[in-house]
Order: sequence, then structure tokens, then C-alpha cells
Amino acid sequence: MLLLQQIVNGVMLGSVYVTVAVAFTLTIGILNFLNFTIPTLFMLAAMGGWALSYWGIPGGLTGPLPWPLALGIGVVLATFVSLIVERFTFRMMKTKYGDSTEHAIPLVSSLGFLLVIENMVRIGYGTDAQRFKGPDVDLTLDLGGILMRLPQLLSLVAVVFIVIALNWLLRSTRIGRGLRAIAENPDAANILGVDTGRVVPVVFMLTGVLCGVAGALFAINYGEVSPQMGEDIGTKAIAGMVVGGLGSIWGAVLGGLIVGLTEMLTIHFFGADTVQVAVWGLLLITLLIRPQGLFGHHSIGKGKL
Amino acid sequence: MSDAILELENVTMRFGGLTVINDVSFQVPRGGRTALIGPNGAGKTTIFNVVSGVYRQTDGVVRLNGAEISAVPSRRRIRLGMARSFQNIRLMPHLSVVENVMLGQQARTRGVLDMITPLARSSWQREAERLLDEMGLDSYPGEVVATLPYGIRKKIEVVRALAARPKLLLLDEPAAGLNPSETANLRDFLMGISARGVTLLVVEHDMGLVRSLCDHAVVLNFGSKIYDGPTAQVHDDPQVLEAYLGPGHAASKPHGVAGDAA
Amino acid sequence: MSGYWAGILSILAINIVFAYGIYLSVATGQLNLGGAGFQAVGAYAAAYLSEGFGLPVYVTIAASAAAAGIIGAVMAFPILRTRGVYLVLATFAFAEVVAGSILNSETLGGPTGMSVPDFIDWQVPVVAAILVSLFVFYLMSTRFGLAMRAVHDDETVSDLMGISIRATQVIAFSIGAALAGLAGGLYAHSFSFVEIQVFNALLSIYVLLYVLLGGTQTPWGPIVGAAFFTLLPEALRAFLPAIKEILVGLFGVTGDISNPDESWRFVILGALTILMMAIRPEGLVTRTMIERLTLRRGRTRPETEASA
Repeated sequence: MLLLQQIVNGVMLGSVYVTVAVAFTLTIGILNFLNFTIPTLFMLAAMGGWALSYWGIPGGLTGPLPWPLALGIGVVLATFVSLIVERFTFRMMKTKYGDSTEHAIPLVSSLGFLLVIENMVRIGYGTDAQRFKGPDVDLTLDLGGILMRLPQLLSLVAVVFIVIALNWLLRSTRIGRGLRAIAENPDAANILGVDTGRVVPVVFMLTGVLCGVAGALFAINYGEVSPQMGEDIGTKAIAGMVVGGLGSIWGAVLGGLIVGLTEMLTIHFFGADTVQVAVWGLLLITLLIRPQGLFGHHSIGKGKL
Repeated sequence: MSDAILELENVTMRFGGLTVINDVSFQVPRGGRTALIGPNGAGKTTIFNVVSGVYRQTDGVVRLNGAEISAVPSRRRIRLGMARSFQNIRLMPHLSVVENVMLGQQARTRGVLDMITPLARSSWQREAERLLDEMGLDSYPGEVVATLPYGIRKKIEVVRALAARPKLLLLDEPAAGLNPSETANLRDFLMGISARGVTLLVVEHDMGLVRSLCDHAVVLNFGSKIYDGPTAQVHDDPQVLEAYLGPGHAASKPHGVAGDAA
Repeated sequence: MSGYWAGILSILAINIVFAYGIYLSVATGQLNLGGAGFQAVGAYAAAYLSEGFGLPVYVTIAASAAAAGIIGAVMAFPILRTRGVYLVLATFAFAEVVAGSILNSETLGGPTGMSVPDFIDWQVPVVAAILVSLFVFYLMSTRFGLAMRAVHDDETVSDLMGISIRATQVIAFSIGAALAGLAGGLYAHSFSFVEIQVFNALLSIYVLLYVLLGGTQTPWGPIVGAAFFTLLPEALRAFLPAIKEILVGLFGVTGDISNPDESWRFVILGALTILMMAIRPEGLVTRTMIERLTLRRGRTRPETEASA
């Protein structure tokens, strides 16, 4: 019974990873860009939400804001920063020679952004974890002995909804077609009339929203935020993305859940200290033995990397 | 041993549904100077890629010195005595001119010792500089390649291929971007190489150079061979004229017109 | 020399050795985001042999390089089969697995770390840094160094020139791992204590970034990068109070400011990275720059009349 509970917990935990994993996989699939700023956007929304609900707007313009508004602004903040990242990593990239390391210029740039954002938050608010006061009600559902907290369940539902919406976007809208065209072949897409200058920022906007929502849901669910919170989630989300297959959205969903599950079961059987080895070991083995993951062949753009 | 240093027999190259080379067979006579010509997209560079091992042909056999080389990995083929240059210059941009040329010598190294002795002021470097001098590039050895003009870089690529002391030299449009006097220069240089026993297989669009340098020509069109014989008679061949100028030109045979098609 | 500056010099020397370790991979075209993993291997190897067996320092430090080098060589084969972003992730994952394994190892002290007897003074890391620099300059001047840079610039052509891309990458990666391990051994004996929390993902990120900032085209880059990163806090200490005043005036600061100096250093590192990648991804020191500075033409024979 306890095991079943742990499994359920693992799936719930995994659902947090899923949204971030989807953000990663979307960016890699469409733009061939491993965006290390993603975990920071997640943190930014959550920390931003906390700061606004605890302190109010910086400079003392208002008092503390109600938590839903605070989180909403947090999500907007994450999206805004994501677009800034696009402006300074992707758009300014100049490929001159096509050598082995040039593909990684945006990746390295995103590492720079990770350092800047995380440390600026530290400078402003310290390194300590903070309590986030979300909804006062804490409904726990009891389904035949298995406990599930309502916010967690809602998160899972939200995630499923987001993924379905994303798939619809990619498949049925004009922008989605543009995104898929860029994923296949950026140069051809340009020639075929896709306005990459307008379509690429959409990816970053989606990234910001996905990470922001994930951060907000995390804050509500677990009630604790810190400048470091992105690091752990980022790790797990990347692992989920790889396991599911780079570029595959459903892969990211499945991968995120698998990682959450792995984490919970590892804690249950071996203790919390072994989680790092387990999750990263899973990632390493996947990369070495089956780098395309579960659904790599069905990714958004084929023939990548 | 046959007297063809390179032989293609029924070579076909398909990429998915696209057939780029279609059942092409020809021989390159040892010690000769053969031109591989044809309109753009005819498959000439693909032939080079198959011969040098970048692609594995879908069908057919490639023979070097009479022996089939299809199973030989691309890395080993330069050691068999074949070197090439590239249509879009592929020099290492951050290395100096002389370093790029020394790269060509790589296949002639023997053992670990060659790999771990410093190159500066070595016999390898002296040899590379000598080669550069012969091509008239003696003022450049230390320059980083990225800063040099197109024409110079084209020549450096040829020197790099020569640094491998090949028996068969594959040149992909060596005269592209060169002015007439540089082209004449190149021609004399290549004649000199040929006189030393190196076989030349040259892809070119400059028909003047082709006519003055090569005695044998193979013409490709849409992946198929349409002519294989003396260069002098290329322009008389109706199929060639049609390939370059379009249908209906076979009847009139203006001299030199085919040479202007690029 | 004062104890303070001796400490800085030690750290600078260790960072230079560490930087060269990553440089060798990057110069061959592989971004190595697992530096901390190899450094941890070296540090713990030295610590364990020193603490557990009482072996002398020159043995433990040699062992730190050897252990990291061997593990690097073994991991190189599977890891270097991956490409591009997969390679970056694989090196990252490797470092995390190393850290996680050490965290769970009783013999290696687990989360509480290990103390290291036999302190080494600043002269040892400095001499090591000098020797390593000379070694890398030498290596890059050989045909093998040429092969490394060729593989970085154009794998297809390198292959056609007869270079074994695999062998070149594996060897460069392994030597790099050994150097990172050496840095770890030097660290262990310079700080008399190792704990796995130090060798984390951020450390791997820092070293990769400052190697890239310094410039990967020549062996001067790692020295410039490491010097910048190590000495930046010192420069900040001089200027930071003034900057902080300005910012407090502009935005109003809330909450504690713990370790602000540390954080500013990383903000600057990050900001410079973004700037560099946008305008000069080759890094600060480039091949062209060195050629211009030394005005060398690299000839072995006197210049004859220039033609062409």
C-alpha cells in the first residue's frame, strides 16, 4: 500500500517535471537549442510570486499583493525574461565557420543568463528558502487509501491540458506549421516564406509561459521557494526530456513522469541520498545506449543533431 | 595492372528517391590529365565524394590501381595515393597557411614520433613552405587563413592536396574565382605536376583551362555520362551541345560557345 | 608573501591547470560540461591515498592525475560516440554521477567530506601550473595538436586527410581529464579538506565559461580565462562598495544580502559570457591576435621576393 502511495507521489512529482521538460524539448526540437535558462525562468516565476506576495513591488510602490495576482505577474515576468534571452542568445548568433562547437553558442549564452539571473535574485533576496503562502485551504483527497492533495491533482490536470493545447498549436495552426517547418530545416523554412523573425520568439514565449506556470504550480503545491529551486528541477526535467526523446512532446511527458517515479522509488528503497546517482545515472545510460530516448524518432524535427 | 589509375564501373548514387549518379563508368588513364565536366548539378562533386569515400555508392564498383576500394574507409584512402581539393574551399580558418598545408602531409606520417614532435622549424614545415613558394604563395605562410582573399585560399587548397604527394589528384573547380593570368599560372603549375607523373582528374567549368590542360574529358549530365573521349572533340558532340545549350543546338556547331556556358 | 596573496596564487594556479583540462576537450571540438567530476576524482584520489595510506604528496598528486585520466579514457569511448548537445549532456551527467557516488560512499566520507594531511604551499601549484602550461603549448605545437584543431574546425576534411577523429578526440579528452584530476589533487593538498559539495554542476559551468571567454584557439586562452575568473573578486572588492551604493539608491534592496561578493562575480561572468557569445564567440585571445602581436611569419627560410 505504501508502495502504491509512493508511486502516486512519484507521478505527482513527475508532473512538475513534465512542464519544464516540455519546455526543454520544444526548444531543442524546434531550434536545436539546449536552453539552460529554462530552470531559471521556473525559479523566477516562483520567486517573483513570493516576492510580490510578501514584499510587494520593489521600491515600495505597493504593499504585498494577493497570491494569485503575484503568481500571475511571476508568470508574465518569466515570459518577458524569456523573450530577452531570445534577443540576446539566439538572434545575435553569428555562425561563421560551421565548426564543431558553433552549434553551442546559444547554449553557452543561456548558461550566462542562468548565472546572471540566479545570482541577481540571490543578491536581492538572499540564498535562503522562503515559505510561500498559497491557498489557505488544503484539500487532501482519499481515494481508497491513497492520498492525493488537490493542488497536486489539479497540477497534473493542468499539465495534461497544456500538452494537449501545445499539440493542437503545433498541428493545426499556422504558427504551429511555421514552427514545424523551422524544426525540419531553418533555411528552407525561410525560403518557403516562414517569417522566422516572428515565429522563433513564439517558442521563447511558450517556454516562458510553460516554465512560469510550472513555477507557480510548484509554489502552490510545495509552499517553498528559493533561488536554487531551479537547479534541481532543471536536472530532472532534462533527464525527463532525454529519456522521452529530444524533440518529442509526449516523450517529455512520459519521461518526466518516469523520472518522478524513479525518484520516489529510489527514495523509498535506497534513501534520499541516492536520488542523484539514480536520476543522473538513468540519464547517462540513456544517452550512451539509446540517445534518441523513447520517442526520439517521432520528434518535431527529424534528422536533428 | 591496368593502365587506368582510377576506374568507375556502373556506379550509381541514390539519396532516398533522388538518383544523383546513374550507372556511370569511366577510366582515368594513369599519368594523364582528365577533365570531368558538365552543367551544374550533373553530379561531378558527388563522383568525387564517392571516390574519396565521403559517400558509399549505392551500386557499382570503384577501383584504384585495379583494386576495389569500396570497403576502404575514407580516412585510409589518402594513404592509397589519392588527394583532393573542394568546390567550396574547406581550409581550417583558424590555422595558418603553412599549418593547413602541413595537414595535407598527415597521411605521410609514420608512427607516434611523427605525431609528437613540434612542427615549428621542422622538415615538414620546410617542405610545406617550399610547396607554397612553388605556387607563388611565399609571402603568406604565417597568415591565419580566415583573413586571406578567396583566390589565394583556392590555391592553398591545391597546395594542401599536393602536400600528400598523391599519385592521383582530384581537383574540384581549382580555377573558380581566379582571373585569366592566375588561371594561366595554375595551368602551368598543373602541367608541371603532371609532368612529374601525377594523374589529374579535374572538375572545371572554365573550358579554356580544360582545353589547354586536359587531353581526356568525361562529360556528365543529370548524373549520366554523355561523352568520354578526347577533349578536342567535346564541342562537336551533339549530346554535349544539347546538354549545355538546350535542345535544337546540335545542328549548329559554333566553336567556343560551349566554353562560355558556366 | 602574505598568506592572503599566497592563497590567491594557489587558487589561480589550480584554476589554470583545471582550465587546461577543459581546454583540451574544447579545442578538439567537444564542450566538456563535466569538469567538476574529473576534478573530484583527482581530489578524492589524492585525499584517500594521503589520509588512508599516508602516501607522500608527490605520489598522491600523480595518482590524482592518473585516476582521472584513466576514468576519462574509459568514459571517453562511450561518451564521445555522442555528438553535439548529447555530448554536453553526457559529460554533465557523468559529473553528477561521480558526485552522487562519492556522496554515498562511506569510505570517502560521504557528505561530511575528508580531511587531507600534508599541506602543500603555494609554490607547488604554481610550479605545476607552469609545467602544465608548457606541456600544453608543446602539445598544441605538434602534429597531434594540429590534428586536434583540424578536428575542431572540420571533421569531414580531417577524416579525408587521414586523421582518426575518434583517436584524436579520445586522447585529447583523456589528457584533459587527467589535468582536471591533477587540479583536484592540488586542490586537496592546498585546502587540506575535500567535500563533494564543492565539485558541483556550477563549478563545471564556471570553468567551461572562463575557458571559452579566454579563447579556445590558442593555449593562451585558458591562462587569460583563469586569471580573469580568479582575480575578478579582488577587483570587485576594490570597486564593489561604490557600485552597491548606486544600486541601493536606484532600486532599494530587501532581504539579507548573503555572499554578495560571490554573487557579483558570477553575475559579471554570466554577463560577459552573453556578450562574448554575441559578438566574439571565439573568445578573447584568438589566433589572429597572437599572430599580430608576435609579428611572426613563421618562416624557416629567409623571405624571398614576394610574388602573387
